[in-house]
Amino acid sequence: MTLAAEVGALRTSAGVSRHDHVRLLRVTGDGAFDVIDRVTSAQLRVRDGQLLHTLMLTDEGHPMADVYVGRDDEEFFLLAEGPEAVELTAHIRSHVPAGADVIIEDRSSTHAILAVDGPYAWELLGAAVDPEIIGLPYLTFYHREGMTVFRAGKTGEYGYSMIVPRADSHALHARLLKAGALYDAREVSLDALDHCALENWFFNIRREGRAPVTPIELQLQWRVNYGKGFVGAEALRSRRAERPSERLTTLVADGPIGIGDAVRAEDARIGSIVNAAYSDIRGEWVALALLELRWASPGIAGLTIVGAAGEVTARTVTPPLLMNRSLSVSPQLHSYLTRHDHPAPPLVRR
Amino acid sequence: MRAELSTRLAERHAILEVVRRLLIDHLGVKRDPDEIDPDVPLFGSGLGLDSIDAVELALLLEEHFGVKWQDDISARASMRTVNCVVDLAVVARGAAP
Repeated sequence: MTLAAEVGALRTSAGVSRHDHVRLLRVTGDGAFDVIDRVTSAQLRVRDGQLLHTLMLTDEGHPMADVYVGRDDEEFFLLAEGPEAVELTAHIRSHVPAGADVIIEDRSSTHAILAVDGPYAWELLGAAVDPEIIGLPYLTFYHREGMTVFRAGKTGEYGYSMIVPRADSHALHARLLKAGALYDAREVSLDALDHCALENWFFNIRREGRAPVTPIELQLQWRVNYGKGFVGAEALRSRRAERPSERLTTLVADGPIGIGDAVRAEDARIGSIVNAAYSDIRGEWVALALLELRWASPGIAGLTIVGAAGEVTARTVTPPLLMNRSLSVSPQLHSYLTRHDHPAPPLVRR
Repeated sequence: MRAELSTRLAERHAILEVVRRLLIDHLGVKRDPDEIDPDVPLFGSGLGLDSIDAVELALLLEEHFGVKWQDDISARASMRTVNCVVDLAVVARGAAP
C-alpha cells in the first residue's frame, strides 16, 4: 500500500497501527510522583484516569523524549517516544533520590500498543471493542477486560490507543482490521502517522526533535513549567533570558525539499529544514524549518530553499495545514456509513 | 528585509501581542506573554481552553478586531492556534495575513 493511501485512510476514515515506537514504563512507589515531576517539564497536575502531555529534557534543555504521563490511582505509566526503554529507565533511575521507594518497570516487552486514528476511529472502535469508547474525553483512559484504552493521538484526527498484553495483541489487531473493512480502514505505518503529524503540527521527536534546540525554539513552551525544578530547567531559563534567535516555522513549497536544506531570503541564509514531505492532500511540499526569529512568521513569500534537488520557491504559512475532517464529524450525529448525507468541508482551504 | 515586509510583520507582531494579552487577561491563561508561542494549540492540549472559552474568544475577536463569524464549524476551525487567531485579526483589519 502506498503512503498516500495510508494517509488518505487516516484523513477520511480510519487507520490501524501498532505503536512499537512507543515505550511503556510503569512507575510505582511512594517516590513515584516526585521522580516523574523531576524528569518531566510540565506541571505534573494529573488526576486518576488522566494523561498529561509533557517532555523529558536533557541537562542542556534539548528534548529527549515526547511523553504522556498517565495517573492510575497511586501509580503512573509513561508512554514515551524517543530513546529505548533501557535508556529511559536509566535516566529516570538516575534522578531517584537516595533511599526513595520507586519501582520502574519496563512493560514494552510484555505489552503492545495498538492505535486507531481517523475521523471515524471512534465508530470502528465502538463496533470492535467497546461502545463506551465513543464518550471517552481527550487525554483520558480507562481499563476494560485486560486492556487500557486511552484517547490521544498525533494526527489531528480522533485518536485512540489500547495497551494490551502482547499475547493478545495479534488477535485484537486482526479484529480491528476485520471490523475496519466496513469503514474502509487500513493498516497504517509509522511513516503515515509521522506524515499526519507534520501536516497537523504535532511535535515529532524523530525529526525536528533531533535538532539541538529547546522547547522555546520548538514552540513547545506549553509543556514547560518555569516555576518548578526539573532536568533541563536551568538551561531552559538561560535560553529564555538570552532570547532565542530562531523558531520553528511551517513552509510550503513548489518542489522537493529535504531535511538539512538551506532556507534563503534576500540573498542570505535564514535557516534550515528540519522536517519535510510531499503532501498529496495539499498537492505541494510541506516542511518545518528553524528560521531566524525575524523571518519566523506566516505570510512571507519568495523564500528559496536550496538542497540536493536544486532550488525551489517557498512561503511561510500558519499550521495546521488541513481542515481536519474530525472537526466536522460528531460521534453523536454522524456515521461513516452515511457520510455522503453530510458533506464535509474540503480538507484544504486556499 | 524589505521595508514593506518589515512593516507588515511589525503590524502582525503587534496583533500577536494583543491576542496574548486577551488570553492572559480575559481567558485566565496563566503564562507570561513570551511563553505563549505563536503556533500553540488553544484547545485540548496546548493552552487548554474549552468550549466556553471559545465563545468568549470569538466575542473578544469581534470586539477588538472586527472579526465576523460565518458558522460554528468555521469559527472552531479558524481558532485552532494563536497564529490562526492572529490571521483572522489581520484579515479583519484588511491586510494580507
